[in-house]
Amino acid sequence: MKENRRKRRAALAAVIVALPIILFFVSLNVGSYPIPLRDVGKSLLSLVVPSFRSEVPPAVRDIILLIRLPRLLLAVAAGASLAVSGAALQALFKNPLVNEYILGLSSGSAFGAALSLVFLGRAFPPQAGAFLFAVVAVLAVLLMAGRLEASLVSLLLTGVIVSAFFSALLMLVEFLASPYALQSLFYWLMGNLSLAGWGDLALSLPLMAAGLALLFLLRWRLNVLSMNEEEARAMGVDVRREKWLVILAATLITAAATSVAGIIGWLGLIVPHLVRMAAGVDNRSVIPLSAALGASFLLAADAAARSLTSIEIPIGIFTSLIGIPVFLALLNKSKKVWL
Amino acid sequence: MSLRVENLVFTNRNFTLRVEKLEFESGRLAAIVGPNGAGKTTLLKCLAAIHPVSRRVIFRGRQDLAALHPAERARLISYVPQEHSPVFSYTVRDFVLTGRAAHLALFSLPSARDEAAAEEALEFVGLEPFAGRPYSQLSSGERRLVLIARALAQKAEVLLLDEPTTFLDPKHEWAVLELIRRLTDERKLTVLVTLHNLDMAVKYSDTLVFLKGGRVTAAGRPDDILTERLLRDVYDMPMKIVPCDGRKLIVR
Amino acid sequence: MRGRAGRLFPLPWPLFLLLALQLIGQELTVKDTLGRTVVVPARVSRVLSLQPEITRIIAALGADDRLVGRDDFIARFDYLSSIISPRLSQLPAASAPDGTPDLELVMRLNPDLIFASPSEASISDYLQSKTGIPVLAFASMGRFSGLLEEIRWTGAVLGRKDRADELIGYFRQTLGRVQKAIADIPAGRRPRVYLSFWSSFTRTPVFYEPVNAAGGRNLAEGLMPAYLGTLGTEVSLEKILGWDPEVILLHGSYLPAERKVTTSSVLDDPRLRSVRAVRDKRVYYTLGFWYWWDPALVLVETLMLAKLFYPQRFRALDLRSEANAVFKTFYGIEGGFDTLGRLLDIPDRPWR
Repeated sequence: MKENRRKRRAALAAVIVALPIILFFVSLNVGSYPIPLRDVGKSLLSLVVPSFRSEVPPAVRDIILLIRLPRLLLAVAAGASLAVSGAALQALFKNPLVNEYILGLSSGSAFGAALSLVFLGRAFPPQAGAFLFAVVAVLAVLLMAGRLEASLVSLLLTGVIVSAFFSALLMLVEFLASPYALQSLFYWLMGNLSLAGWGDLALSLPLMAAGLALLFLLRWRLNVLSMNEEEARAMGVDVRREKWLVILAATLITAAATSVAGIIGWLGLIVPHLVRMAAGVDNRSVIPLSAALGASFLLAADAAARSLTSIEIPIGIFTSLIGIPVFLALLNKSKKVWL
Repeated sequence: MSLRVENLVFTNRNFTLRVEKLEFESGRLAAIVGPNGAGKTTLLKCLAAIHPVSRRVIFRGRQDLAALHPAERARLISYVPQEHSPVFSYTVRDFVLTGRAAHLALFSLPSARDEAAAEEALEFVGLEPFAGRPYSQLSSGERRLVLIARALAQKAEVLLLDEPTTFLDPKHEWAVLELIRRLTDERKLTVLVTLHNLDMAVKYSDTLVFLKGGRVTAAGRPDDILTERLLRDVYDMPMKIVPCDGRKLIVR
Repeated sequence: MRGRAGRLFPLPWPLFLLLALQLIGQELTVKDTLGRTVVVPARVSRVLSLQPEITRIIAALGADDRLVGRDDFIARFDYLSSIISPRLSQLPAASAPDGTPDLELVMRLNPDLIFASPSEASISDYLQSKTGIPVLAFASMGRFSGLLEEIRWTGAVLGRKDRADELIGYFRQTLGRVQKAIADIPAGRRPRVYLSFWSSFTRTPVFYEPVNAAGGRNLAEGLMPAYLGTLGTEVSLEKILGWDPEVILLHGSYLPAERKVTTSSVLDDPRLRSVRAVRDKRVYYTLGFWYWWDPALVLVETLMLAKLFYPQRFRALDLRSEANAVFKTFYGIEGGFDTLGRLLDIPDRPWR
């Protein structure tokens, strides 16, 4: 019986790992511009074999290499980042309701983007503003809570306060903004992968990769950190240092993902739960599988957002519309996963 | 090598723990008893580095424990909490494996050696068949054993257990205490246990330490220090010591 | 939109209906864009306009001396109003950025009539009930016919009917000239145009009448219901490449420092290099506002676009002098278009 369960878990894990790869290649073929499969293949091959360049029309090649490819890579990286960030923070805070935006990150990045879109010029793009203030918000939380006792409850409470502060600042910026600036802010906030180009990825992709690598290395350590803090201390863990490390890594990847993709909700909350239900709570599995499932989730949502209608539906809407029912279904079944 | 406490002062809200001198021998089981709020758990937590303690207070042989890194210290002292409220339901094996944290660097994964240590600990407490079961499915007695196994996997010379027998029925209580006794005798660990049950404390311990109001009232071998007068002073109520089958029973 | 003047304004236009013209009682009963029936006094000497289009129309009607206040947008963001009527900059702002009227100030200004924006339906009723002053909610809703109705009704309630008729006639006549010049071009040969609005290259208005009137085909038309018009919708880059527009128009009414999407950012974007408009370098700024139009500017824009779309046919059109003439007709100012051009940093030839 136990053998069966282990085999089933292994099979599910294999599916989760294979999913993003399959979805990636499927998504490469999805789009409003109809491109036959062989042209997709030739466009990709033309990267390594120059002679293929002449065999595809330039528009097709540009669409595959300059539009779809970076967009899909962003979906993979952002999906993985948001899911892993949520999983790590849930373990750290010993709270399955924690999501990746918990420490003021979403309010900070929204404010940063608003500041840039409304007051600053082209030289300071919203991506930079969003990233900067996401990090500022979390640092503010860490420093303020550190003055207290940096316990997890105080971190969460401080996160709520900092969130509220930046939300208020955001409202102020919106109030002062011209209708023109408000429009661009409105769309940024909803989440959008449509304009992602190689330029956007140049900075954010390495950041996400670095943060993901860090959390991947810490994946077993998260098991220890998910124990009661006192117990962890007695087990020889420098809790304060390692807590900060996890929070900073999670912040880095979430801020990087949010700055290019906008605020995309529910991934960090739901994906880790699904993974735990499929493969158990050991973070040695949860972290990598969350990355895979998060990437799949966002790839699928993005493909849907692009192909369902001829207009671009902001991806944040999709993740919410899919995420909320899934979350409700999870609440019913979740008794096995935690207590 | 003995575990020594010298001039420990710990203040926490309205409570102060003051211990001038205590010494615990290896291969000996010490039971720390006293009324509620006497500071038993506080003392253990100070020893386990859960509460911060200043230098030159706690020694292992000549080594000042406060000068050690957390991991180094944890390789010397392990701690079993009274209860564990789990959020994530790890398998018993994975749960016990976390006890190896002190032996693993920050980015390391448990090796075969760590897995073996966890297996060994599970065997010792008799939970081997439960290894793949999720923690949430265990009874409270079994959970206690898992907590002990985790501390054993840590492979420290000193084992601190905080109230390991509360809420256990007599049979399980006895099983746990027998287990702890075996640990002391077979592995020559230095074991400190806080207990509410005076009879058990008297029966199993080599050393008794009485705490009251944050102070050590008496410490020594049960035969040496156990008197009715001491009991009345510590617990503020009259008690009788009744010999029975070569043992001493405490009757209220 | 066919190129014949007669079909340009389909009748009847349902938005504004005159219920009863009570000449004897010297009052006017008007139905506004929201369908509210409002009784307006015969003599209106103090006017508060909280709707930018109306404010400009009042200036065009020559009644801006009766204005006692303006709205937040005109006050803070509208560089155009200082060009067309210096008096406007003296007026106090009687609404907040979100459109909420400053009640106390409104009472103090004591207008006989208030013009409000229909975008917040409750504000008009709220304002009218709190102050007892009649409130008319008008907007063009992105349609020429709506704009002309605005002019007509504003003229009617302000007793400037003749002037209003004059402007309406001039508007129609100018448009008619454009329509006649391109009447014979079949739909299939009209240039395919992609518009980018609101600081995002992929944000496009699904209905923009100046483009249609100038003989272009808005590629995004029909994607969503037309009433969403200039608000627009998001499309993907792929879709734009699939459309392969011949002309790309960018939202140009931003001041240069505030522009996020520029002609150079479009022309230099490697993802767009295969698009015909980019290859032919037919990427231009247009003068689109939100639904707050300026009647003169909208007319000028249509002329400008006609020249962009059909350079040969409108070779003789001297845009600069025509545009300045439009501004002069509407606002009585000289060199209005030149001033605007300097502000927006665009030359008077079909510009980049």
